[in-house]
Amino acid sequence: MHLVKKEEIFPRDPNKTYSLMAIVDGDSLQVDKDPGDTVSSWPHLVLRELLLFLVVGIAVVGVSLLFNAPLEEPANALHSTNPAKAPWYFVGIQELVSYSAFLGGIVAPAAIVLSLLFLPYLDRNPAGVGVWFAKERRVATTIFTVFVVSMGILIVIGQFLRGPNWTLNLPWK
Amino acid sequence: MSATVYTIRDSIKNLPKNIRSSVVRPVEGTPEQARAAAVFGNVFLHIHPARVHENSLRFGYTLGLGLISFYLFLILAISGTLLMFYYTPSTQLAYHNMKDLEYVVSFGVILRNIHRWSAHAMVAAVFLHMCRVFYTGSYKAPREFNWVVGVSLLLMTLFLSFTGYLLPWDQLAFWAITVGSNIAAYAPWIGEKIRFVMLGGNEVGQMALIRFYVLHVALLPVVALVLMGVHFWRIRKDGGLSRPADR
Repeated sequence: MHLVKKEEIFPRDPNKTYSLMAIVDGDSLQVDKDPGDTVSSWPHLVLRELLLFLVVGIAVVGVSLLFNAPLEEPANALHSTNPAKAPWYFVGIQELVSYSAFLGGIVAPAAIVLSLLFLPYLDRNPAGVGVWFAKERRVATTIFTVFVVSMGILIVIGQFLRGPNWTLNLPWK
Repeated sequence: MSATVYTIRDSIKNLPKNIRSSVVRPVEGTPEQARAAAVFGNVFLHIHPARVHENSLRFGYTLGLGLISFYLFLILAISGTLLMFYYTPSTQLAYHNMKDLEYVVSFGVILRNIHRWSAHAMVAAVFLHMCRVFYTGSYKAPREFNWVVGVSLLLMTLFLSFTGYLLPWDQLAFWAITVGSNIAAYAPWIGEKIRFVMLGGNEVGQMALIRFYVLHVALLPVVALVLMGVHFWRIRKDGGLSRPADR
Protein backbone atom coordinates (compact mmCIF):
# COMPACT_ATOMS: atom_id res chain seq x y z
CA MET A 1 0.00 0.00 0.00
CA HIS A 2 1.35 3.39 -0.85
CA LEU A 3 -0.06 6.85 -1.18
CA VAL A 4 -0.93 8.11 -4.62
CA LYS A 5 0.88 11.23 -5.82
CA LYS A 6 -0.67 14.10 -3.93
CA GLU A 7 -2.95 16.27 -6.02
CA GLU A 8 -5.89 18.44 -5.12
CA ILE A 9 -8.93 16.57 -6.39
CA PHE A 10 -11.40 18.20 -4.05
CA PRO A 11 -9.99 21.48 -2.75
CA ARG A 12 -10.72 22.08 0.92
CA ASP A 13 -13.85 24.05 1.57
CA PRO A 14 -13.46 26.24 4.68
CA ASN A 15 -17.24 26.01 5.24
CA LYS A 16 -17.15 22.26 5.66
CA THR A 17 -15.91 20.20 8.57
CA TYR A 18 -14.89 17.29 6.38
CA SER A 19 -12.69 16.84 3.36
CA LEU A 20 -11.04 14.16 1.27
CA MET A 21 -7.72 13.37 2.93
CA ALA A 22 -6.13 10.77 0.64
CA ILE A 23 -6.82 8.11 -1.94
CA VAL A 24 -5.07 4.85 -1.09
CA ASP A 25 -3.97 2.51 -3.85
CA GLY A 26 -4.67 -1.08 -2.79
CA ASP A 27 -7.36 -3.67 -2.17
CA SER A 28 -9.62 -3.34 0.80
CA LEU A 29 -10.36 -6.44 2.83
CA GLN A 30 -13.72 -6.81 1.15
CA VAL A 31 -12.53 -6.91 -2.49
CA ASP A 32 -13.59 -10.22 -4.11
CA LYS A 33 -15.26 -11.15 -0.85
CA ASP A 34 -18.78 -10.40 -1.90
CA PRO A 35 -21.48 -12.90 -0.94
CA GLY A 36 -21.35 -14.11 -4.54
CA ASP A 37 -18.48 -16.42 -3.60
CA THR A 38 -20.42 -18.08 -0.80
CA VAL A 39 -23.79 -19.79 -0.55
CA SER A 40 -25.86 -20.54 2.52
CA SER A 41 -25.11 -23.96 4.06
CA TRP A 42 -28.79 -24.72 4.26
CA PRO A 43 -29.95 -25.94 1.78
CA HIS A 44 -26.92 -26.09 -0.54
CA LEU A 45 -24.43 -27.99 1.62
CA VAL A 46 -26.68 -29.97 3.98
CA LEU A 47 -28.83 -31.41 1.19
CA ARG A 48 -25.72 -32.56 -0.70
CA GLU A 49 -24.46 -34.24 2.48
CA LEU A 50 -27.75 -36.05 2.98
CA LEU A 51 -27.75 -37.14 -0.66
CA LEU A 52 -24.22 -38.52 -0.29
CA PHE A 53 -25.32 -40.45 2.81
CA LEU A 54 -28.12 -42.01 0.77
CA VAL A 55 -25.68 -42.97 -1.98
CA VAL A 56 -23.22 -44.52 0.50
CA GLY A 57 -26.01 -46.37 2.31
CA ILE A 58 -27.50 -47.75 -0.89
CA ALA A 59 -24.07 -48.82 -2.16
CA VAL A 60 -23.22 -50.64 1.09
CA VAL A 61 -26.58 -52.40 1.31
CA GLY A 62 -26.44 -53.29 -2.40
CA VAL A 63 -23.00 -54.88 -2.10
CA SER A 64 -24.09 -56.64 1.11
CA LEU A 65 -27.09 -58.19 -0.66
CA LEU A 66 -24.91 -59.46 -3.51
CA PHE A 67 -21.76 -60.71 -1.75
CA ASN A 68 -21.39 -62.69 1.45
CA ALA A 69 -18.64 -61.93 3.94
CA PRO A 70 -16.02 -64.69 4.01
CA LEU A 71 -16.20 -67.32 6.73
CA GLU A 72 -13.88 -70.32 6.70
CA GLU A 73 -13.60 -73.34 8.99
CA PRO A 74 -13.34 -72.74 12.76
CA ALA A 75 -9.94 -71.54 13.93
CA ASN A 76 -7.48 -74.37 14.48
CA ALA A 77 -4.16 -73.50 16.11
CA LEU A 78 -2.70 -76.88 15.09
CA HIS A 79 -3.43 -76.64 11.38
CA SER A 80 -2.24 -73.47 9.67
CA THR A 81 -3.60 -72.26 6.37
CA ASN A 82 -1.05 -72.15 3.58
CA PRO A 83 -0.39 -69.38 2.76
CA ALA A 84 -1.41 -67.54 5.93
CA LYS A 85 -2.22 -64.04 4.77
CA ALA A 86 -2.65 -60.82 6.73
CA PRO A 87 -5.70 -58.62 5.94
CA TRP A 88 -5.35 -57.06 2.48
CA TYR A 89 -4.22 -53.65 3.76
CA PHE A 90 -1.23 -55.31 5.50
CA VAL A 91 -0.45 -57.75 2.69
CA GLY A 92 1.89 -55.21 1.07
CA ILE A 93 3.88 -55.11 4.31
CA GLN A 94 3.79 -58.92 4.43
CA GLU A 95 5.19 -59.00 0.89
CA LEU A 96 8.08 -56.79 2.05
CA VAL A 97 8.56 -59.04 5.10
CA SER A 98 9.07 -62.00 2.76
CA TYR A 99 12.25 -60.26 1.51
CA SER A 100 13.48 -58.92 4.86
CA ALA A 101 11.61 -59.29 8.13
CA PHE A 102 13.24 -56.36 9.90
CA LEU A 103 13.44 -53.93 6.95
CA GLY A 104 10.00 -54.78 5.59
CA GLY A 105 8.15 -55.35 8.84
CA ILE A 106 9.55 -52.58 11.03
CA VAL A 107 11.68 -50.05 9.14
CA ALA A 108 9.37 -49.57 6.15
CA PRO A 109 6.08 -49.16 8.10
CA ALA A 110 7.77 -46.88 10.66
CA ALA A 111 9.30 -44.80 7.86
CA ILE A 112 5.92 -44.49 6.12
CA VAL A 113 4.05 -43.45 9.30
CA LEU A 114 6.75 -40.99 10.39
CA SER A 115 7.02 -39.41 6.93
CA LEU A 116 3.25 -38.97 6.81
CA LEU A 117 3.13 -37.44 10.31
CA PHE A 118 5.96 -34.98 9.58
CA LEU A 119 4.98 -34.18 5.99
CA PRO A 120 3.41 -30.72 6.68
CA TYR A 121 6.48 -29.69 8.70
CA LEU A 122 8.93 -30.86 6.03
CA ASP A 123 7.12 -29.40 3.01
CA ARG A 124 6.86 -25.70 3.90
CA ASN A 125 6.28 -24.53 0.33
CA PRO A 126 2.96 -22.65 0.50
CA ALA A 127 2.29 -22.94 -3.24
CA GLY A 128 -0.41 -25.01 -4.86
CA VAL A 129 -3.13 -25.05 -2.19
CA GLY A 130 -6.64 -25.82 -3.36
CA VAL A 131 -5.77 -27.20 -6.78
CA TRP A 132 -5.41 -30.81 -7.88
CA PHE A 133 -1.88 -31.67 -9.05
CA ALA A 134 -0.63 -28.07 -8.94
CA LYS A 135 2.21 -27.43 -11.40
CA GLU A 136 4.39 -25.89 -8.67
CA ARG A 137 4.30 -29.17 -6.72
CA ARG A 138 5.38 -31.60 -9.43
CA VAL A 139 8.15 -33.12 -7.28
CA ALA A 140 5.89 -33.68 -4.26
CA THR A 141 3.13 -35.09 -6.45
CA THR A 142 5.56 -37.48 -8.14
CA ILE A 143 7.07 -38.76 -4.87
CA PHE A 144 3.63 -39.38 -3.34
CA THR A 145 2.37 -41.10 -6.50
CA VAL A 146 5.38 -43.42 -6.51
CA PHE A 147 4.58 -44.31 -2.87
CA VAL A 148 0.88 -44.96 -3.56
CA VAL A 149 1.50 -46.97 -6.74
CA SER A 150 4.25 -49.10 -5.17
CA MET A 151 2.01 -49.86 -2.16
CA GLY A 152 -0.72 -50.83 -4.63
CA ILE A 153 1.60 -53.11 -6.61
CA LEU A 154 2.89 -54.79 -3.41
CA ILE A 155 -0.69 -55.40 -2.24
CA VAL A 156 -1.72 -56.85 -5.61
CA ILE A 157 1.33 -59.17 -5.63
CA GLY A 158 0.72 -60.29 -2.05
CA GLN A 159 -3.02 -60.71 -2.43
CA PHE A 160 -3.31 -62.34 -5.87
CA LEU A 161 0.08 -63.69 -6.94
CA ARG A 162 1.27 -65.44 -3.78
CA GLY A 163 0.41 -69.08 -3.33
CA PRO A 164 1.41 -71.80 -0.84
CA ASN A 165 4.70 -71.17 0.98
CA TRP A 166 4.57 -67.59 -0.36
CA THR A 167 5.83 -68.68 -3.78
CA LEU A 168 4.98 -66.64 -6.86
CA ASN A 169 1.83 -68.20 -8.24
CA LEU A 170 0.49 -66.71 -11.44
CA PRO A 171 -3.30 -67.16 -11.49
CA TRP A 172 -3.49 -67.54 -15.31
CA LYS A 173 -1.22 -70.61 -15.29
CA MET B 1 -48.61 -16.39 21.62
CA SER B 2 -52.03 -14.88 22.13
CA ALA B 3 -53.10 -13.33 25.41
CA THR B 4 -51.52 -15.33 28.22
CA VAL B 5 -53.88 -18.09 29.28
CA TYR B 6 -53.13 -20.37 32.20
CA THR B 7 -56.20 -22.58 32.22
CA ILE B 8 -55.67 -26.33 31.95
CA ARG B 9 -58.19 -26.46 29.12
CA ASP B 10 -56.19 -24.07 26.97
CA SER B 11 -52.95 -25.80 27.87
CA ILE B 12 -54.32 -29.07 26.56
CA LYS B 13 -55.74 -27.38 23.47
CA ASN B 14 -52.34 -25.83 22.68
CA LEU B 15 -50.29 -28.85 23.72
CA PRO B 16 -49.04 -29.89 20.23
CA LYS B 17 -48.18 -26.33 19.26
CA ASN B 18 -46.41 -25.66 22.57
CA ILE B 19 -44.38 -28.86 22.45
CA ARG B 20 -43.33 -28.20 18.88
CA SER B 21 -42.30 -24.60 19.54
CA SER B 22 -40.32 -25.70 22.60
CA VAL B 23 -38.32 -28.28 20.61
CA VAL B 24 -37.71 -26.29 17.44
CA ARG B 25 -35.99 -23.06 18.36
CA PRO B 26 -37.95 -20.07 17.08
CA VAL B 27 -36.63 -18.48 13.90
CA GLU B 28 -37.36 -14.87 13.16
CA GLY B 29 -36.06 -12.47 10.56
CA THR B 30 -35.39 -12.42 6.86
CA PRO B 31 -35.37 -15.63 4.82
CA GLU B 32 -31.58 -15.28 4.78
CA GLN B 33 -31.44 -15.21 8.59
CA ALA B 34 -33.85 -18.13 8.77
CA ARG B 35 -31.56 -20.21 6.49
CA ALA B 36 -28.58 -19.36 8.69
CA ALA B 37 -30.54 -20.23 11.84
CA ALA B 38 -31.51 -23.58 10.32
CA VAL B 39 -27.83 -24.49 10.57
CA PHE B 40 -26.50 -22.72 13.68
CA GLY B 41 -29.71 -23.28 15.64
CA ASN B 42 -29.47 -27.06 15.21
CA VAL B 43 -27.10 -29.02 17.41
CA PHE B 44 -26.46 -31.65 14.72
CA LEU B 45 -25.81 -29.11 11.97
CA HIS B 46 -24.08 -26.33 13.87
CA ILE B 47 -20.61 -27.64 13.01
CA HIS B 48 -21.30 -26.12 9.59
CA PRO B 49 -20.68 -22.45 8.95
CA ALA B 50 -23.81 -20.45 8.10
CA ARG B 51 -22.36 -19.85 4.63
CA VAL B 52 -19.83 -21.92 2.71
CA HIS B 53 -17.51 -21.06 -0.14
CA GLU B 54 -18.61 -22.40 -3.51
CA ASN B 55 -15.36 -24.35 -3.79
CA SER B 56 -16.39 -26.50 -0.81
CA LEU B 57 -19.40 -27.69 -2.78
CA ARG B 58 -17.47 -28.80 -5.87
CA PHE B 59 -17.73 -32.59 -5.83
CA GLY B 60 -14.79 -32.81 -8.23
CA TYR B 61 -12.61 -31.05 -5.66
CA THR B 62 -13.15 -33.22 -2.58
CA LEU B 63 -14.84 -36.26 -4.18
CA GLY B 64 -16.72 -36.38 -0.87
CA LEU B 65 -14.16 -38.85 0.48
CA GLY B 66 -13.93 -37.42 4.00
CA LEU B 67 -17.70 -37.48 4.39
CA ILE B 68 -17.87 -40.98 2.91
CA SER B 69 -15.33 -42.13 5.51
CA PHE B 70 -17.42 -40.60 8.30
CA TYR B 71 -20.65 -42.11 6.97
CA LEU B 72 -19.04 -45.54 6.78
CA PHE B 73 -17.97 -45.09 10.41
CA LEU B 74 -21.58 -44.33 11.36
CA ILE B 75 -22.85 -47.38 9.44
CA LEU B 76 -20.17 -49.48 11.15
CA ALA B 77 -21.10 -48.15 14.60
CA ILE B 78 -24.79 -48.98 14.09
CA SER B 79 -24.28 -52.39 12.47
CA GLY B 80 -21.53 -53.22 14.97
CA THR B 81 -23.79 -52.40 17.93
CA LEU B 82 -26.46 -54.71 16.49
CA LEU B 83 -23.87 -57.46 15.98
CA MET B 84 -22.85 -57.14 19.65
CA PHE B 85 -26.29 -58.52 20.62
CA TYR B 86 -25.38 -61.81 18.94
CA TYR B 87 -21.67 -62.10 19.66
CA THR B 88 -19.73 -63.56 22.57
CA PRO B 89 -15.96 -63.04 22.65
CA SER B 90 -15.21 -66.66 23.56
CA THR B 91 -13.18 -69.15 21.57
CA GLN B 92 -15.92 -71.69 22.28
CA LEU B 93 -18.81 -69.55 21.08
CA ALA B 94 -17.55 -66.92 18.62
CA TYR B 95 -17.59 -69.16 15.57
CA HIS B 96 -21.03 -70.57 16.43
CA ASN B 97 -22.31 -67.00 16.74
CA MET B 98 -21.15 -66.46 13.15
CA LYS B 99 -23.07 -69.53 12.02
CA ASP B 100 -26.14 -68.38 13.96
CA LEU B 101 -25.96 -64.99 12.26
CA GLU B 102 -25.86 -66.84 8.96
CA TYR B 103 -28.66 -69.36 9.55
CA VAL B 104 -30.72 -68.33 12.60
CA VAL B 105 -30.84 -64.56 13.09
CA SER B 106 -33.25 -62.74 10.77
CA PHE B 107 -31.21 -60.76 8.26
CA GLY B 108 -28.10 -61.78 10.22
CA VAL B 109 -26.18 -62.44 6.99
CA ILE B 110 -27.02 -58.98 5.68
CA LEU B 111 -26.02 -57.40 8.99
CA ARG B 112 -22.66 -59.14 9.00
CA ASN B 113 -22.09 -58.36 5.32
CA ILE B 114 -22.85 -54.65 5.88
CA HIS B 115 -20.33 -54.54 8.72
CA ARG B 116 -17.64 -56.43 6.83
CA TRP B 117 -17.89 -54.57 3.53
CA SER B 118 -18.21 -51.15 5.20
CA ALA B 119 -15.03 -51.90 7.13
CA HIS B 120 -13.09 -52.72 3.95
CA ALA B 121 -14.60 -49.69 2.22
CA MET B 122 -13.68 -47.41 5.12
CA VAL B 123 -9.99 -48.40 5.00
CA ALA B 124 -10.01 -47.60 1.28
CA ALA B 125 -12.03 -44.36 1.68
CA VAL B 126 -9.81 -42.98 4.44
CA PHE B 127 -6.69 -43.75 2.41
CA LEU B 128 -8.14 -42.14 -0.73
CA HIS B 129 -9.22 -39.13 1.36
CA MET B 130 -5.59 -38.78 2.45
CA CYS B 131 -4.48 -38.93 -1.21
CA ARG B 132 -6.99 -36.18 -2.10
CA VAL B 133 -5.74 -33.97 0.73
CA PHE B 134 -2.16 -34.49 -0.41
CA TYR B 135 -2.74 -33.86 -4.11
CA THR B 136 -4.72 -30.67 -3.43
CA GLY B 137 -2.04 -29.37 -1.03
CA SER B 138 -4.63 -29.15 1.74
CA TYR B 139 -2.14 -30.11 4.48
CA LYS B 140 -0.28 -26.82 4.17
CA ALA B 141 -0.50 -23.96 6.66
CA PRO B 142 -2.70 -23.41 8.59
CA ARG B 143 -3.91 -27.01 8.29
CA GLU B 144 -0.72 -28.89 9.29
CA PHE B 145 -2.05 -30.17 12.60
CA ASN B 146 -5.28 -31.39 11.07
CA TRP B 147 -3.23 -33.53 8.69
CA VAL B 148 -1.52 -35.07 11.76
CA VAL B 149 -4.94 -35.75 13.33
CA GLY B 150 -5.99 -37.27 10.00
CA VAL B 151 -2.98 -39.60 9.88
CA SER B 152 -3.85 -40.68 13.45
CA LEU B 153 -7.39 -41.39 12.25
CA LEU B 154 -6.00 -43.51 9.40
CA LEU B 155 -4.02 -45.54 11.97
CA MET B 156 -7.17 -45.87 14.13
CA THR B 157 -9.08 -47.12 11.09
CA LEU B 158 -6.40 -49.75 10.43
CA PHE B 159 -6.35 -50.84 14.12
CA LEU B 160 -10.15 -51.02 14.22
CA SER B 161 -10.20 -53.14 11.07
CA PHE B 162 -7.36 -55.36 12.29
CA THR B 163 -8.90 -55.98 15.74
CA GLY B 164 -12.27 -56.75 14.15
CA TYR B 165 -10.65 -59.23 11.78
CA LEU B 166 -10.02 -61.72 14.59
CA LEU B 167 -13.53 -61.76 16.05
CA PRO B 168 -15.19 -64.37 13.73
CA TRP B 169 -12.61 -66.88 15.03
CA ASP B 170 -12.33 -68.79 11.76
CA GLN B 171 -9.14 -69.98 10.05
CA LEU B 172 -8.89 -66.76 8.00
CA ALA B 173 -9.08 -64.61 11.14
CA PHE B 174 -6.81 -66.77 13.28
CA TRP B 175 -3.93 -67.00 10.83
CA ALA B 176 -4.19 -63.42 9.62
CA ILE B 177 -3.77 -62.20 13.20
CA THR B 178 -0.97 -64.71 13.77
CA VAL B 179 0.85 -63.30 10.73
CA GLY B 180 0.09 -59.68 11.69
CA SER B 181 1.27 -60.04 15.28
CA ASN B 182 4.39 -61.89 14.12
CA ILE B 183 5.32 -58.88 11.98
CA ALA B 184 5.18 -56.72 15.14
CA ALA B 185 7.52 -59.21 16.84
CA TYR B 186 10.27 -58.40 14.30
CA ALA B 187 10.92 -55.09 16.07
CA PRO B 188 14.33 -55.25 17.76
CA TRP B 189 14.46 -55.91 21.53
CA ILE B 190 10.82 -54.96 22.32
CA GLY B 191 9.17 -56.81 19.43
CA GLU B 192 8.40 -59.95 21.43
CA LYS B 193 7.07 -57.82 24.30
CA ILE B 194 4.82 -55.85 21.95
CA ARG B 195 3.33 -59.08 20.64
CA PHE B 196 2.89 -60.41 24.19
CA VAL B 197 0.96 -57.29 25.22
CA MET B 198 -1.09 -57.42 22.01
CA LEU B 199 -2.08 -61.09 22.37
CA GLY B 200 -2.03 -61.41 26.15
CA GLY B 201 0.22 -64.43 25.62
CA ASN B 202 2.62 -65.93 23.13
CA GLU B 203 0.01 -67.11 20.68
CA VAL B 204 -3.48 -66.23 19.51
CA GLY B 205 -6.02 -67.62 22.01
CA GLN B 206 -8.78 -66.64 24.42
CA MET B 207 -6.73 -63.80 25.91
CA ALA B 208 -6.04 -62.35 22.47
CA LEU B 209 -9.72 -62.61 21.54
CA ILE B 210 -10.95 -60.73 24.60
CA ARG B 211 -8.26 -58.05 24.16
CA PHE B 212 -9.09 -57.53 20.51
CA TYR B 213 -12.80 -57.48 21.34
CA VAL B 214 -12.49 -54.78 24.01
CA LEU B 215 -10.22 -52.72 21.79
CA HIS B 216 -12.60 -53.15 18.87
CA VAL B 217 -15.91 -52.32 20.56
CA ALA B 218 -14.88 -49.84 23.24
CA LEU B 219 -11.42 -48.31 23.31
CA LEU B 220 -10.64 -47.67 19.65
CA PRO B 221 -14.12 -46.37 18.71
CA VAL B 222 -13.97 -43.83 21.55
CA VAL B 223 -10.48 -42.68 20.54
CA ALA B 224 -11.59 -42.48 16.90
CA LEU B 225 -14.66 -40.43 17.86
CA VAL B 226 -12.59 -37.97 19.90
CA LEU B 227 -10.09 -37.59 17.04
CA MET B 228 -12.95 -37.10 14.58
CA GLY B 229 -14.38 -34.36 16.80
CA VAL B 230 -11.02 -32.59 16.79
CA HIS B 231 -10.64 -33.18 13.03
CA PHE B 232 -14.02 -31.63 12.16
CA TRP B 233 -13.63 -28.76 14.62
CA ARG B 234 -10.23 -27.92 13.14
CA ILE B 235 -11.73 -27.74 9.65
CA ARG B 236 -13.86 -24.82 10.87
CA LYS B 237 -11.08 -23.18 12.87
CA ASP B 238 -8.59 -23.43 10.01
CA GLY B 239 -10.93 -21.50 7.73
CA GLY B 240 -13.10 -24.14 6.14
CA LEU B 241 -12.09 -26.46 3.30
CA SER B 242 -8.93 -25.50 1.44
CA ARG B 243 -9.40 -23.46 -1.69
CA PRO B 244 -7.24 -21.50 -4.09
CA ALA B 245 -6.06 -18.15 -2.73
CA ASP B 246 -8.48 -15.32 -3.51
CA ARG B 247 -7.28 -13.32 -6.46
